[in-house]
Amino acid sequence: MLVSERGSRRGRLLGWTLLAGLALGCGTRERVDPTAAPIADFLKRVDEYVALRNRLAATIGPVDETKSQAEITLRAATLASNIKLERAQAKPGDLFTTEVATVFATLIHQEEQRRPDSVRETREDQQEELPDFVPQVNEIYPTTYPLATFPAKLLPLLPKLPEQVEYRIVQHYLILRDVEANLIVDFMPHAVPTEKAP
Amino acid sequence: MRPRRAAGAGLLALCWAAPLAAQALALPVRAGSVRFAVIGDTGTGDQLQYAVAQQLALYRQKFPFTFTIMLGDNIYGSERPQDFDTKFTKPYKPLLDAKVEFDATLGNHDDPNQRFYKPFNMGGNRYRTFKKGNVRFFVIDSNYLDPDQVKWLEKELASAGSDWKIPYFHHPLYTTAARGPEVELRAVLEPLFVKYGVDVVFSGHEHVYERLKPQKGIYYFTAGGAAKLRSGDTRKGPLTDQTFDTDRSFMLVEISGNDLYFQAISRTGKTVDKGVLHRLAHNPPAKPPVVAKPPR
Repeated sequence: MLVSERGSRRGRLLGWTLLAGLALGCGTRERVDPTAAPIADFLKRVDEYVALRNRLAATIGPVDETKSQAEITLRAATLASNIKLERAQAKPGDLFTTEVATVFATLIHQEEQRRPDSVRETREDQQEELPDFVPQVNEIYPTTYPLATFPAKLLPLLPKLPEQVEYRIVQHYLILRDVEANLIVDFMPHAVPTEKAP
Repeated sequence: MRPRRAAGAGLLALCWAAPLAAQALALPVRAGSVRFAVIGDTGTGDQLQYAVAQQLALYRQKFPFTFTIMLGDNIYGSERPQDFDTKFTKPYKPLLDAKVEFDATLGNHDDPNQRFYKPFNMGGNRYRTFKKGNVRFFVIDSNYLDPDQVKWLEKELASAGSDWKIPYFHHPLYTTAARGPEVELRAVLEPLFVKYGVDVVFSGHEHVYERLKPQKGIYYFTAGGAAKLRSGDTRKGPLTDQTFDTDRSFMLVEISGNDLYFQAISRTGKTVDKGVLHRLAHNPPAKPPVVAKPPR
Protein backbone atom coordinates (compact mmCIF):
# COMPACT_ATOMS: atom_id res chain seq x y z
CA MET A 1 0.00 0.00 0.00
CA LEU A 2 2.76 2.25 0.97
CA VAL A 3 4.71 1.30 -2.14
CA SER A 4 1.67 1.85 -4.27
CA GLU A 5 1.00 5.30 -2.74
CA ARG A 6 4.65 6.24 -3.21
CA GLY A 7 4.47 5.05 -6.82
CA SER A 8 1.34 7.02 -7.38
CA ARG A 9 2.93 10.13 -5.86
CA ARG A 10 5.95 9.65 -8.10
CA GLY A 11 3.67 9.31 -11.09
CA ARG A 12 1.81 12.52 -10.22
CA LEU A 13 5.09 14.34 -9.68
CA LEU A 14 6.36 13.15 -13.03
CA GLY A 15 3.11 14.21 -14.66
CA TRP A 16 3.27 17.73 -13.16
CA THR A 17 6.91 18.06 -14.08
CA LEU A 18 6.13 17.11 -17.65
CA LEU A 19 3.22 19.55 -17.81
CA ALA A 20 5.26 22.32 -16.27
CA GLY A 21 8.07 21.61 -18.70
CA LEU A 22 5.67 21.77 -21.62
CA ALA A 23 4.13 24.98 -20.37
CA LEU A 24 7.54 26.49 -19.86
CA GLY A 25 8.58 25.38 -23.30
CA CYS A 26 5.51 26.96 -24.87
CA GLY A 27 6.04 30.17 -22.91
CA THR A 28 9.63 30.62 -23.93
CA ARG A 29 9.07 29.84 -27.60
CA GLU A 30 9.37 33.26 -29.30
CA ARG A 31 6.78 34.41 -31.78
CA VAL A 32 8.71 35.57 -34.79
CA ASP A 33 7.44 38.84 -36.26
CA PRO A 34 7.78 38.34 -40.01
CA THR A 35 7.98 42.12 -40.55
CA ALA A 36 10.88 42.66 -38.15
CA ALA A 37 13.70 41.53 -40.43
CA PRO A 38 12.61 43.45 -43.56
CA ILE A 39 12.03 46.61 -41.48
CA ALA A 40 15.39 46.27 -39.76
CA ASP A 41 17.03 45.82 -43.13
CA PHE A 42 15.20 48.88 -44.50
CA LEU A 43 16.29 51.02 -41.56
CA LYS A 44 19.85 49.82 -41.97
CA ARG A 45 19.75 50.92 -45.61
CA VAL A 46 18.25 54.27 -44.58
CA ASP A 47 21.02 54.73 -42.03
CA GLU A 48 23.62 53.99 -44.67
CA TYR A 49 22.05 56.56 -46.97
CA VAL A 50 21.91 59.15 -44.19
CA ALA A 51 25.55 58.52 -43.30
CA LEU A 52 26.48 59.10 -46.93
CA ARG A 53 24.45 62.29 -47.33
CA ASN A 54 25.69 63.61 -43.97
CA ARG A 55 29.26 63.11 -45.09
CA LEU A 56 28.51 65.03 -48.29
CA ALA A 57 26.61 67.73 -46.40
CA ALA A 58 29.58 68.21 -44.08
CA THR A 59 31.78 69.11 -47.05
CA ILE A 60 29.40 71.93 -47.94
CA GLY A 61 29.30 73.33 -44.43
CA PRO A 62 26.62 73.73 -41.81
CA VAL A 63 23.20 75.00 -42.76
CA ASP A 64 22.28 78.17 -40.95
CA GLU A 65 19.44 80.60 -41.13
CA THR A 66 20.19 83.19 -43.73
CA LYS A 67 18.58 86.18 -45.39
CA SER A 68 19.92 84.91 -48.68
CA GLN A 69 17.61 82.55 -50.46
CA ALA A 70 20.35 82.20 -53.08
CA GLU A 71 22.55 80.65 -50.40
CA ILE A 72 19.80 78.18 -49.38
CA THR A 73 19.09 77.25 -52.99
CA LEU A 74 22.75 76.81 -53.81
CA ARG A 75 23.34 74.63 -50.76
CA ALA A 76 20.38 72.37 -51.56
CA ALA A 77 21.39 72.10 -55.21
CA THR A 78 25.02 71.33 -54.36
CA LEU A 79 24.01 68.70 -51.85
CA ALA A 80 21.60 67.12 -54.32
CA SER A 81 24.20 67.15 -57.04
CA ASN A 82 26.83 65.52 -54.80
CA ILE A 83 24.39 62.85 -53.66
CA LYS A 84 23.45 62.08 -57.26
CA LEU A 85 27.11 61.67 -58.17
CA GLU A 86 27.76 59.35 -55.25
CA ARG A 87 24.60 57.36 -55.93
CA ALA A 88 24.81 57.36 -59.68
CA GLN A 89 24.01 53.65 -59.77
CA ALA A 90 21.06 53.91 -57.40
CA LYS A 91 17.87 52.31 -58.64
CA PRO A 92 14.30 51.82 -57.44
CA GLY A 93 14.11 49.24 -54.69
CA ASP A 94 17.55 49.89 -53.25
CA LEU A 95 15.93 50.94 -49.98
CA PHE A 96 12.35 49.83 -50.53
CA THR A 97 13.38 46.24 -51.17
CA THR A 98 10.79 43.77 -52.39
CA GLU A 99 10.53 42.33 -48.88
CA VAL A 100 9.95 45.63 -47.10
CA ALA A 101 7.72 46.92 -49.90
CA THR A 102 5.37 44.03 -49.16
CA VAL A 103 5.34 44.99 -45.50
CA PHE A 104 4.71 48.68 -46.28
CA ALA A 105 1.96 47.90 -48.77
CA THR A 106 0.23 45.66 -46.24
CA LEU A 107 0.47 48.29 -43.50
CA ILE A 108 -0.85 51.01 -45.77
CA HIS A 109 -3.69 48.86 -47.12
CA GLN A 110 -4.71 47.77 -43.62
CA GLU A 111 -4.76 51.39 -42.50
CA GLU A 112 -6.77 52.29 -45.60
CA GLN A 113 -9.40 49.74 -44.65
CA ARG A 114 -9.75 51.25 -41.17
CA ARG A 115 -10.09 54.87 -42.22
CA PRO A 116 -13.54 56.42 -42.31
CA ASP A 117 -15.05 57.73 -45.54
CA SER A 118 -14.45 61.35 -44.56
CA VAL A 119 -10.71 60.72 -44.19
CA ARG A 120 -10.60 58.80 -47.45
CA GLU A 121 -12.29 61.68 -49.26
CA THR A 122 -9.85 64.23 -47.84
CA ARG A 123 -6.89 62.15 -48.95
CA GLU A 124 -8.29 61.68 -52.41
CA ASP A 125 -8.96 65.41 -52.70
CA GLN A 126 -5.37 66.14 -51.79
CA GLN A 127 -4.07 63.72 -54.36
CA GLU A 128 -6.18 65.42 -57.01
CA GLU A 129 -4.13 68.58 -56.47
CA LEU A 130 -0.97 66.74 -57.43
CA PRO A 131 0.14 66.38 -61.01
CA ASP A 132 0.47 63.09 -62.81
CA PHE A 133 3.95 62.32 -61.72
CA VAL A 134 6.26 59.39 -62.24
CA PRO A 135 9.07 59.66 -59.72
CA GLN A 136 12.63 58.75 -60.55
CA VAL A 137 15.41 57.91 -58.14
CA ASN A 138 17.88 60.81 -57.88
CA GLU A 139 15.31 63.21 -59.29
CA ILE A 140 14.65 66.57 -57.63
CA TYR A 141 11.07 66.72 -56.39
CA PRO A 142 9.89 69.72 -58.43
CA THR A 143 9.33 72.68 -56.15
CA THR A 144 6.53 73.80 -58.41
CA TYR A 145 4.52 70.77 -57.26
CA PRO A 146 2.74 70.86 -53.93
CA LEU A 147 3.59 68.25 -51.34
CA ALA A 148 0.59 66.28 -50.19
CA THR A 149 -0.01 66.21 -46.47
CA PHE A 150 1.19 62.91 -45.16
CA PRO A 151 -1.70 61.05 -43.49
CA ALA A 152 -1.28 61.77 -39.80
CA LYS A 153 -2.74 58.43 -38.74
CA LEU A 154 -0.51 56.45 -41.09
CA LEU A 155 2.78 58.06 -40.17
CA PRO A 156 3.09 56.45 -36.71
CA LEU A 157 2.56 53.01 -38.27
CA LEU A 158 5.61 53.26 -40.51
CA PRO A 159 9.20 52.86 -39.30
CA LYS A 160 10.51 56.09 -37.82
CA LEU A 161 12.99 57.85 -40.07
CA PRO A 162 15.98 60.04 -39.27
CA GLU A 163 15.12 63.74 -39.68
CA GLN A 164 17.13 64.01 -42.91
CA VAL A 165 14.58 61.95 -44.84
CA GLU A 166 10.81 61.72 -44.92
CA TYR A 167 7.99 59.75 -46.47
CA ARG A 168 5.74 61.32 -49.07
CA ILE A 169 2.78 59.96 -50.94
CA VAL A 170 2.18 61.04 -54.51
CA GLN A 171 -0.64 59.25 -56.27
CA HIS A 172 0.06 55.55 -55.66
CA TYR A 173 3.75 56.02 -54.91
CA LEU A 174 5.37 56.04 -51.50
CA ILE A 175 8.43 58.23 -51.85
CA LEU A 176 11.47 58.47 -49.63
CA ARG A 177 12.68 62.05 -49.94
CA ASP A 178 15.81 63.79 -48.73
CA VAL A 179 14.33 66.84 -47.04
CA GLU A 180 17.14 69.30 -47.49
CA ALA A 181 18.34 68.18 -50.91
CA ASN A 182 14.71 67.80 -52.05
CA LEU A 183 15.82 64.62 -53.75
CA ILE A 184 13.91 61.39 -54.35
CA VAL A 185 16.03 58.74 -52.65
CA ASP A 186 13.77 55.82 -53.50
CA PHE A 187 10.13 55.09 -54.19
CA MET A 188 7.75 52.18 -54.31
CA PRO A 189 4.84 52.02 -56.74
CA HIS A 190 1.42 50.66 -55.81
CA ALA A 191 1.97 51.44 -52.16
CA VAL A 192 -1.29 53.31 -51.95
CA PRO A 193 -4.49 52.12 -53.54
CA THR A 194 -5.82 54.83 -55.84
CA GLU A 195 -8.11 54.94 -58.80
CA LYS A 196 -5.22 56.19 -60.94
CA ALA A 197 -2.92 53.29 -60.17
CA PRO A 198 -2.44 51.18 -63.31
CA MET B 1 -10.78 115.43 -75.25
CA ARG B 2 -11.25 117.31 -72.05
CA PRO B 3 -14.13 115.18 -70.70
CA ARG B 4 -12.18 112.01 -71.47
CA ARG B 5 -9.16 113.37 -69.60
CA ALA B 6 -11.38 114.33 -66.72
CA ALA B 7 -12.91 110.88 -66.66
CA GLY B 8 -9.43 109.39 -66.74
CA ALA B 9 -8.34 111.61 -63.86
CA GLY B 10 -11.45 110.64 -61.94
CA LEU B 11 -10.71 106.95 -62.40
CA LEU B 12 -7.13 107.47 -61.27
CA ALA B 13 -8.35 109.33 -58.20
CA LEU B 14 -10.71 106.46 -57.44
CA CYS B 15 -7.90 103.92 -57.74
CA TRP B 16 -5.76 105.88 -55.35
CA ALA B 17 -8.66 106.68 -53.09
CA ALA B 18 -9.86 103.11 -52.69
CA PRO B 19 -7.03 101.86 -50.49
CA LEU B 20 -6.51 105.21 -48.79
CA ALA B 21 -10.12 105.88 -47.94
CA ALA B 22 -11.07 102.72 -46.25
CA GLN B 23 -9.09 102.15 -43.09
CA ALA B 24 -11.87 102.14 -40.54
CA LEU B 25 -10.17 100.54 -37.61
CA ALA B 26 -12.36 98.43 -35.33
CA LEU B 27 -9.69 97.55 -32.80
CA PRO B 28 -9.13 99.37 -29.49
CA VAL B 29 -5.31 99.72 -29.72
CA ARG B 30 -4.92 99.37 -25.97
CA ALA B 31 -1.65 100.08 -24.24
CA GLY B 32 0.41 96.94 -23.74
CA SER B 33 -1.74 94.78 -25.99
CA VAL B 34 -0.35 92.10 -28.33
CA ARG B 35 -1.02 93.19 -31.90
CA PHE B 36 -0.49 91.16 -35.02
CA ALA B 37 -1.66 90.59 -38.57
CA VAL B 38 -2.72 87.28 -40.09
CA ILE B 39 -2.09 86.44 -43.74
CA GLY B 40 -2.42 83.09 -45.47
CA ASP B 41 -1.63 81.62 -48.87
CA THR B 42 0.19 84.73 -49.95
CA GLY B 43 3.04 83.79 -52.25
CA THR B 44 1.65 84.34 -55.73
CA GLY B 45 3.64 87.44 -56.61
CA ASP B 46 0.65 88.79 -58.52
CA GLN B 47 -1.02 92.19 -58.31
CA LEU B 48 -3.66 90.96 -55.91
CA GLN B 49 -1.05 89.92 -53.36
CA TYR B 50 0.50 93.37 -53.70
CA ALA B 51 -2.89 95.04 -53.27
CA VAL B 52 -3.53 93.17 -50.01
CA ALA B 53 0.01 93.96 -48.85
CA GLN B 54 -0.58 97.63 -49.58
CA GLN B 55 -3.79 97.58 -47.57
CA LEU B 56 -1.96 95.86 -44.72
CA ALA B 57 0.68 98.59 -44.68
CA LEU B 58 -1.98 101.29 -44.71
CA TYR B 59 -3.81 99.74 -41.78
CA ARG B 60 -0.57 99.53 -39.85
CA GLN B 61 -0.48 103.30 -39.76
CA LYS B 62 -3.53 103.16 -37.47
CA PHE B 63 -2.88 99.80 -35.90
CA PRO B 64 0.84 99.45 -35.24
CA PHE B 65 1.16 95.70 -35.16
CA THR B 66 4.63 94.35 -34.52
CA PHE B 67 4.45 90.95 -36.19
CA THR B 68 2.57 89.02 -38.85
CA ILE B 69 1.78 85.34 -38.77
CA MET B 70 1.88 83.58 -42.15
CA LEU B 71 -0.38 80.55 -42.50
CA GLY B 72 1.59 78.74 -45.18
CA ASP B 73 1.88 78.63 -48.96
CA ASN B 74 4.31 81.45 -48.49
CA ILE B 75 5.85 80.92 -51.93
CA TYR B 76 3.83 79.33 -54.72
CA GLY B 77 5.50 77.69 -57.68
CA SER B 78 9.22 78.01 -58.18
CA GLU B 79 11.35 78.98 -55.20
CA ARG B 80 14.28 80.65 -56.87
CA PRO B 81 15.91 83.60 -55.09
CA GLN B 82 14.06 86.03 -57.35
CA ASP B 83 10.77 84.38 -56.37
CA PHE B 84 11.39 85.32 -52.74
CA ASP B 85 11.78 88.91 -53.95
CA THR B 86 8.64 89.07 -56.03
CA LYS B 87 6.48 86.94 -53.73
CA PHE B 88 7.66 88.19 -50.34
CA THR B 89 10.19 90.97 -49.90
CA LYS B 90 8.76 93.35 -52.51
CA PRO B 91 5.08 93.17 -51.58
CA TYR B 92 5.81 93.44 -47.85
CA LYS B 93 8.70 95.91 -48.15
CA PRO B 94 6.96 98.69 -46.18
CA LEU B 95 6.39 96.26 -43.31
CA LEU B 96 9.88 94.77 -43.49
CA ASP B 97 11.35 98.26 -43.55
CA ALA B 98 9.31 99.05 -40.44
CA LYS B 99 10.87 95.98 -38.73
CA VAL B 100 7.61 94.07 -38.62
CA GLU B 101 8.48 90.44 -37.86
CA PHE B 102 7.08 87.68 -40.08
CA ASP B 103 6.47 84.29 -38.47
CA ALA B 104 5.78 81.67 -41.10
CA THR B 105 4.45 78.16 -41.04
CA LEU B 106 4.85 75.71 -43.90
CA GLY B 107 2.07 75.05 -46.40
CA ASN B 108 1.77 72.23 -48.89
CA HIS B 109 3.28 74.46 -51.59
CA ASP B 110 6.32 75.33 -49.49
CA ASP B 111 9.73 73.71 -49.64
CA PRO B 112 10.65 72.83 -46.04
CA ASN B 113 13.98 74.57 -46.68
CA GLN B 114 12.05 77.80 -46.13
CA ARG B 115 12.76 77.16 -42.47
CA PHE B 116 16.29 78.43 -43.10
CA TYR B 117 15.06 81.68 -44.67
CA LYS B 118 15.69 84.14 -41.87
CA PRO B 119 12.90 86.62 -42.71
CA PHE B 120 10.40 83.82 -41.99
CA ASN B 121 11.75 83.48 -38.44
CA MET B 122 11.41 79.70 -38.23
CA GLY B 123 14.81 79.28 -36.64
CA GLY B 124 15.62 76.34 -38.91
CA ASN B 125 12.70 74.36 -37.44
CA ARG B 126 9.68 72.90 -39.16
CA TYR B 127 7.68 73.54 -35.99
CA ARG B 128 8.29 75.81 -33.08
CA THR B 129 6.73 77.95 -30.39
CA PHE B 130 7.18 81.59 -29.49
CA LYS B 131 5.72 83.99 -26.99
CA LYS B 132 4.49 87.56 -27.31
CA GLY B 133 3.22 89.17 -24.13
CA ASN B 134 0.68 86.84 -22.57
CA VAL B 135 0.21 84.84 -25.77
CA ARG B 136 1.94 81.58 -26.64
CA PHE B 137 1.96 80.68 -30.34
CA PHE B 138 2.49 77.13 -31.58
CA VAL B 139 3.66 76.94 -35.18
CA ILE B 140 2.77 73.47 -36.42
CA ASP B 141 3.86 71.73 -39.62
CA SER B 142 0.55 70.22 -40.68
CA ASN B 143 2.13 68.71 -43.79
CA TYR B 144 4.04 66.14 -41.79
CA LEU B 145 2.63 65.56 -38.35
CA ASP B 146 5.00 62.85 -37.19
CA PRO B 147 4.95 61.33 -33.69
CA ASP B 148 7.92 63.47 -32.60
CA GLN B 149 6.04 66.63 -33.48
CA VAL B 150 2.94 65.46 -31.63
CA LYS B 151 5.03 64.72 -28.50
CA TRP B 152 6.74 68.08 -28.77
CA LEU B 153 3.39 69.85 -29.13
CA GLU B 154 1.93 68.11 -26.11
CA LYS B 155 4.90 69.05 -23.98
CA GLU B 156 4.81 72.68 -25.11
CA LEU B 157 1.05 72.99 -24.64
CA ALA B 158 1.30 71.47 -21.20
CA SER B 159 3.98 73.92 -20.12
CA ALA B 160 2.31 77.04 -21.54
CA GLY B 161 0.68 77.86 -18.20
CA SER B 162 -1.96 80.56 -18.19
CA ASP B 163 -0.94 82.19 -21.45
CA TRP B 164 -3.31 82.42 -24.36
CA LYS B 165 -2.62 79.35 -26.44
CA ILE B 166 -2.79 79.95 -30.18
CA PRO B 167 -1.65 77.23 -32.58
CA TYR B 168 -1.48 78.05 -36.24
CA PHE B 169 -0.81 75.84 -39.22
CA HIS B 170 -1.76 75.47 -42.83
CA HIS B 171 -4.59 72.93 -43.04
CA PRO B 172 -7.89 73.77 -41.32
CA LEU B 173 -9.40 71.32 -38.87
CA TYR B 174 -12.80 72.86 -39.50
CA THR B 175 -13.98 74.65 -42.61
CA THR B 176 -17.03 74.88 -44.82
CA ALA B 177 -14.94 75.47 -47.96
CA ALA B 178 -15.30 72.96 -50.74
CA ARG B 179 -12.07 71.02 -50.20
CA GLY B 180 -13.21 70.33 -46.69
CA PRO B 181 -11.58 70.03 -43.29
CA GLU B 182 -8.53 67.94 -42.49
CA VAL B 183 -10.38 65.41 -40.37
CA GLU B 184 -7.36 63.19 -39.92
CA LEU B 185 -5.27 66.02 -38.51
CA ARG B 186 -8.23 66.94 -36.36
CA ALA B 187 -8.32 63.46 -34.87
CA VAL B 188 -4.74 63.89 -33.70
CA LEU B 189 -4.63 67.59 -32.79
CA GLU B 190 -8.06 68.37 -31.38
CA PRO B 191 -7.78 66.11 -28.31
CA LEU B 192 -4.54 67.91 -27.40
CA PHE B 193 -6.07 71.31 -28.03
CA VAL B 194 -9.03 70.46 -25.78
CA LYS B 195 -6.92 68.81 -23.09
CA TYR B 196 -4.52 71.71 -22.75
CA GLY B 197 -6.96 74.57 -23.18
CA VAL B 198 -6.16 76.01 -26.60
CA ASP B 199 -8.09 79.23 -27.13
CA VAL B 200 -7.91 80.11 -30.81
CA VAL B 201 -6.63 78.38 -33.96
CA PHE B 202 -5.67 80.04 -37.26
CA SER B 203 -5.34 78.13 -40.53
CA GLY B 204 -5.05 78.86 -44.22
CA HIS B 205 -5.16 76.50 -47.22
CA GLU B 206 -8.72 77.45 -48.09
CA HIS B 207 -8.61 80.73 -50.00
CA VAL B 208 -11.40 82.40 -48.09
CA TYR B 209 -12.08 84.01 -44.73
CA GLU B 210 -14.12 82.10 -42.18
CA ARG B 211 -14.93 82.51 -38.52
CA LEU B 212 -16.43 79.33 -37.18
CA LYS B 213 -18.57 78.75 -34.16
CA PRO B 214 -16.47 77.51 -31.24
CA GLN B 215 -15.81 73.79 -31.53
CA LYS B 216 -15.32 72.05 -28.18
CA GLY B 217 -14.58 75.44 -26.67
CA ILE B 218 -12.05 76.54 -29.29
CA TYR B 219 -12.39 79.38 -31.79
CA TYR B 220 -11.30 78.60 -35.36
CA PHE B 221 -10.44 81.09 -38.11
CA THR B 222 -9.59 80.31 -41.72
CA ALA B 223 -7.61 83.11 -43.34
CA GLY B 224 -6.13 81.77 -46.55
CA GLY B 225 -7.23 84.50 -48.90
CA ALA B 226 -4.43 87.06 -48.76
CA ALA B 227 -3.55 86.54 -52.42
CA LYS B 228 -5.62 83.71 -53.87
CA LEU B 229 -9.38 83.42 -53.84
CA ARG B 230 -11.86 80.59 -54.22
CA SER B 231 -14.84 82.71 -54.97
CA GLY B 232 -18.13 81.52 -53.50
CA ASP B 233 -16.43 78.56 -51.87
CA THR B 234 -17.87 78.75 -48.35
CA ARG B 235 -21.18 77.34 -47.19
CA LYS B 236 -23.34 79.01 -44.60
CA GLY B 237 -24.42 76.48 -42.05
CA PRO B 238 -24.39 75.48 -38.42
CA LEU B 239 -20.59 75.62 -38.35
CA THR B 240 -20.17 79.19 -39.52
CA ASP B 241 -20.43 82.49 -37.73
CA GLN B 242 -19.10 84.59 -40.60
CA THR B 243 -17.58 84.02 -44.01
CA PHE B 244 -16.15 86.17 -46.78
CA ASP B 245 -15.31 84.66 -50.14
CA THR B 246 -15.82 87.37 -52.72
CA ASP B 247 -12.41 89.02 -52.52
CA ARG B 248 -8.97 88.66 -50.94
CA SER B 249 -8.66 89.35 -47.26
CA PHE B 250 -6.43 89.44 -44.20
CA MET B 251 -6.89 89.84 -40.46
CA LEU B 252 -5.73 92.15 -37.71
CA VAL B 253 -5.78 90.84 -34.15
CA GLU B 254 -5.28 92.49 -30.79
CA ILE B 255 -5.10 90.63 -27.49
CA SER B 256 -5.54 92.53 -24.29
CA GLY B 257 -5.96 90.61 -21.04
CA ASN B 258 -8.64 87.99 -21.61
CA ASP B 259 -10.04 89.62 -24.73
CA LEU B 260 -9.11 89.01 -28.33
CA TYR B 261 -10.26 91.69 -30.76
CA PHE B 262 -10.25 90.84 -34.43
CA GLN B 263 -10.97 92.55 -37.70
CA ALA B 264 -11.07 90.88 -41.09
CA ILE B 265 -10.43 93.25 -43.97
CA SER B 266 -10.84 92.88 -47.70
CA ARG B 267 -8.33 93.79 -50.38
CA THR B 268 -10.13 97.09 -50.87
CA GLY B 269 -10.03 97.95 -47.18
CA LYS B 270 -13.60 97.05 -46.34
CA THR B 271 -14.18 95.49 -42.94
CA VAL B 272 -15.83 92.12 -43.55
CA ASP B 273 -15.90 90.89 -39.97
CA LYS B 274 -15.01 92.22 -36.56
CA GLY B 275 -15.61 91.41 -32.94
CA VAL B 276 -14.17 90.42 -29.63
CA LEU B 277 -13.69 86.94 -28.21
CA HIS B 278 -13.40 86.28 -24.53
CA ARG B 279 -11.30 83.43 -23.28
CA LEU B 280 -13.42 80.41 -22.56
CA ALA B 281 -12.95 78.49 -19.34
CA HIS B 282 -10.81 75.42 -19.75
CA ASN B 283 -9.81 72.57 -17.53
CA PRO B 284 -6.37 72.92 -15.95
CA PRO B 285 -3.63 71.39 -18.07
CA ALA B 286 -2.47 67.91 -17.25
CA LYS B 287 1.03 66.91 -16.24
CA PRO B 288 3.50 67.45 -19.10
CA PRO B 289 4.92 64.37 -20.78
CA VAL B 290 8.58 63.81 -21.58
CA VAL B 291 9.43 65.00 -25.03
CA ALA B 292 11.83 65.34 -27.92
CA LYS B 293 13.29 68.59 -29.17
CA PRO B 294 12.09 69.89 -32.54
CA PRO B 295 14.17 68.72 -35.49
CA ARG B 296 16.00 71.14 -37.71
